[in-house]
Amino acid sequence: MKRTLTTCPYCGTGCQFYLVADDGGRLVAVEASTEHPVARGQLCVKGWNAFEFVHHPDRLTEPSVRRNGRLASVPWDEALGLVAAGLQEIGRRHGPDSIAFFSSAKTTNEENYLMMKLARAAFRTNNVDHCARLCHASTVTGLAAMFGSGAMTNSISCTEQADCTLVIGSNTTEQHPLIGTRILRNVVERGAKLIVIDSRAIRLSRFADLHIRARNGTDVALLNAIMHVIIQEGLENRQFIAERTENYEALKRAAADYPPEKAAAICNVPADQIVAAARLFAKADRPMLVYSMGITQHTHGVDNVKSCANLAMLVGGIGRPGTGVNPLRGQNNVQGACDVGALPNVYSGYQKVTDPAVRAKFEKAWGVEGLPAEVGLTMTAAIDAAAQGKLKGLLIMGENPMLSDPDQGHIRKALESLEFLAVIDIFPTATSQLAHVVLPAASFAEKDGTFTSTERRVQRVRKAIEPVGNSRPDWQILCELAARAGYQAMRYDSPKEVMDEIAALTPIYGGITYDRLGPQGLQWPCPDREHPGTAVLHSTAFTRGRGLFFPVHYRPSAELPDEEYPFLLSTGRCYWHFHTGTMTRRSRLLDREERDPYVEVSPQDARKLAIRDGQWVTVSTRRGEVRAVARVTDTVIEGLIFMPFHFEEGAANALTNNALDPECQIPEYKVCAARVRAAP
Amino acid sequence: MKAVTVAQLQDFFRAVAVEFDVRVPIALEDGTRALGRLAEGPLALSGGALPGKPLSVFFPQFETELTYRDDSVEVQEARGKPLLVVGLTAQDADCLEFIDRFFAERFRDDVYFSKRAGAVVAVVSGRCGRDGEFLKIAGGKCDFELACDGARFLVVPYSEAGRRLCEAIPGGTEASPQELEGLRRQSDALDGSFADAVRRASQLIRDEKVPEAFWQEIADRCIGCTACNLACPTCTCFDVYDWKCARCVERQRIWDSCQLAGFMREASGHNPLGTQAARVRRRIHHKLAADLQRWGSITCFLCGRCDRVCPTGIGMEAVSREIVRRFA
Repeated sequence: MKRTLTTCPYCGTGCQFYLVADDGGRLVAVEASTEHPVARGQLCVKGWNAFEFVHHPDRLTEPSVRRNGRLASVPWDEALGLVAAGLQEIGRRHGPDSIAFFSSAKTTNEENYLMMKLARAAFRTNNVDHCARLCHASTVTGLAAMFGSGAMTNSISCTEQADCTLVIGSNTTEQHPLIGTRILRNVVERGAKLIVIDSRAIRLSRFADLHIRARNGTDVALLNAIMHVIIQEGLENRQFIAERTENYEALKRAAADYPPEKAAAICNVPADQIVAAARLFAKADRPMLVYSMGITQHTHGVDNVKSCANLAMLVGGIGRPGTGVNPLRGQNNVQGACDVGALPNVYSGYQKVTDPAVRAKFEKAWGVEGLPAEVGLTMTAAIDAAAQGKLKGLLIMGENPMLSDPDQGHIRKALESLEFLAVIDIFPTATSQLAHVVLPAASFAEKDGTFTSTERRVQRVRKAIEPVGNSRPDWQILCELAARAGYQAMRYDSPKEVMDEIAALTPIYGGITYDRLGPQGLQWPCPDREHPGTAVLHSTAFTRGRGLFFPVHYRPSAELPDEEYPFLLSTGRCYWHFHTGTMTRRSRLLDREERDPYVEVSPQDARKLAIRDGQWVTVSTRRGEVRAVARVTDTVIEGLIFMPFHFEEGAANALTNNALDPECQIPEYKVCAARVRAAP
Repeated sequence: MKAVTVAQLQDFFRAVAVEFDVRVPIALEDGTRALGRLAEGPLALSGGALPGKPLSVFFPQFETELTYRDDSVEVQEARGKPLLVVGLTAQDADCLEFIDRFFAERFRDDVYFSKRAGAVVAVVSGRCGRDGEFLKIAGGKCDFELACDGARFLVVPYSEAGRRLCEAIPGGTEASPQELEGLRRQSDALDGSFADAVRRASQLIRDEKVPEAFWQEIADRCIGCTACNLACPTCTCFDVYDWKCARCVERQRIWDSCQLAGFMREASGHNPLGTQAARVRRRIHHKLAADLQRWGSITCFLCGRCDRVCPTGIGMEAVSREIVRRFA
């Protein structure tokens, strides 16, 4: 019997719990930590079940290589040699930028750091990215431009201090349950105000003072109109604007173009709701803005983020407890994967690859010369390049783009076009089925490291059991690959040593070492060993000095419903599953709860289509067609359908549109045109 | 009757580990308390009810019932030393008495009794709750009781196995029956409003005074985390399923939850508990009304765990008090 304190591998909330192993070294339970500031003895359903998948018989336990079209087990040494040689050979023939590395927000900070070090120092390319491209690239771009830092400004505990919370594009009780429940209790027990802007009737909307069901993709018009009313009625925070911000006049001019009636027509909501929201939010002493994928996953995702930041600054809702612009990060370590530089344009701590001084620093530390100076390919651009035959080699760690990336047909073509594809994962996936070499990784329960949660809290992940089968921790695999590629400066005895290197090279992590990471972790920025960490950003000045108002204008989504494809399809997650389902669909109760792909259809549309609840239907778009079970529900408004993307046998991303935000290249998962018919 | 110190008890638990697999309240690295072996962390007798389902020692969250391999079946059977479980509260002892009945009646659950049989159970009570709170005296329903007077623990045996163990605790001082009686009086004077709320809510439910709309309100606040069931010592539902490996089949069982749609969903898709309102109503009805008919008592024994683990504040105490406030 052994209990190991560790961090949940699902969403970015960062709950800690104990993994309980029996005397045979098998996980048998999860017990919540009563002392952890976020968990407080509580967890969501995924957290309580986060032990079971670890021993599932589907686990990859031996390396395998494709021979005669089938994956066959080989010894580690052979598999590692093949991966290193395969990538090196392509690099030699076509140049280092003909290969790319997909890192993973599911793996640790140390592993993400090593992946980017492997790409940059061993293979000399900046083509390294991970799934933040698909979720919060808009946030990192938008908030960094306006505030100087692209992270959640406040802490999770602040949700209990807000006087008015505006939740936009976040189904918080389902996707960040231990944050959503705080927002809920703040309303029910403290009487705080709540505004929900979401086309779907989510749980929080049942408690909202205002639920604005704006049409998907019209957030800029709506937020500009709210700001229009605030300015018209003199409710803006003049002192904050004068003392802390710049470029206000430009914002004022832009907002003037959006009287509520105009936005109401664009968003298909009553104008008086816009006026009411403006008054409610602006009059609160502590206004808090919370958003997630409903804001970011658009071709105008960066504009959406900027609108949120404009609104928060307009009412002075930044830099104090109970306020802030709070993008909720969707994966356990998507914040950390960004922080440690698994991005094509920055090293760890958002230090730019284009800055010669930064490159010189990393060259010295890593013992190399001539690190690449050009910004690398984003994940979405790399997939396009592969489809065009320009990118020829790819190493993927812990990601499943076949289900998670937009337009599955396009992804398949891209991955099948590669000369060499290697995948490191814990389970076989739709992506690993296309790989030339598959390396079995140890799960979160079998290794040490750190995750960084949505509130910038760096927390320990601890080894509870030995790696299952012959699997190995990703950090060891990456170091082995570096050595075989001829790069000898990636040798570590433990992840602790990797974190020491990160701290030495990364100002925002400068004070973070394992001996300081007690049960509550540390929130960055934490620049030195005496620094206690930072709960609220921008409290006296913005990271960039003054907050920059950044006026933006409404642009319609890339593909809107028409006669042929009359529905607006939005995609996302459901509560019971996580992303491509590799872990939750191998957890008994979670799998049982939501077993089939489904599509939410409004009762009005179901009547028109003559389909019943529970009936199999086909959903099609210009990219593809899948089968799903119809869920007839007033969760969605007429004309809107919603599908989760967890199901390989009914992949929502066979339908989605690979249209990208021009600034950050995030795909438009939340809007495309679709058709629904009863399945034959 | 003898009275012993925590240090003496700790020594005793270490010594008796030769004979028993000893599980006691321990403090884990961040201060979270759990029922574990002393090798896992220091003894933490004080602090009140342990956060997790304490009867998980007999009925764990996940276990393999049997393995089918090479044409033979291996069934989980009693193995190793019997359990000595210390640290239940008086309320937990009531729960244990109930689930012993539950798992024995009609279909006897061999997997449960493979661990329960031969186990010795001790309650911790008296002045050793969270922040000095007084814990109810059990007065029975366990093999022995450790009743804290604020400094020492009075050792009170109830069963033969308990008596044998209590006599083996070395050292200590003599305590008078009056001291125990004093603790009992304090126990009797404890606030009974939670118990009262549960009794009254039970009556209101059985009198059909609680409207459907109320359960929808509670359901609106339920995120389906299932923690109420996972923490509840009298929740006994589990699901059984098979894992097919390359050369074997393992039959697993895992704690289930009536708060899940899949709990009662039929293969046809029909679901007698098809709405969340029906499911939250069932959780309360089952303990306060249905079990009363089936087993002769309300089966919420007031341990308070569901209220502590619920992220939205709709545990049994909160809901019972709300029912009484609104419908009495």
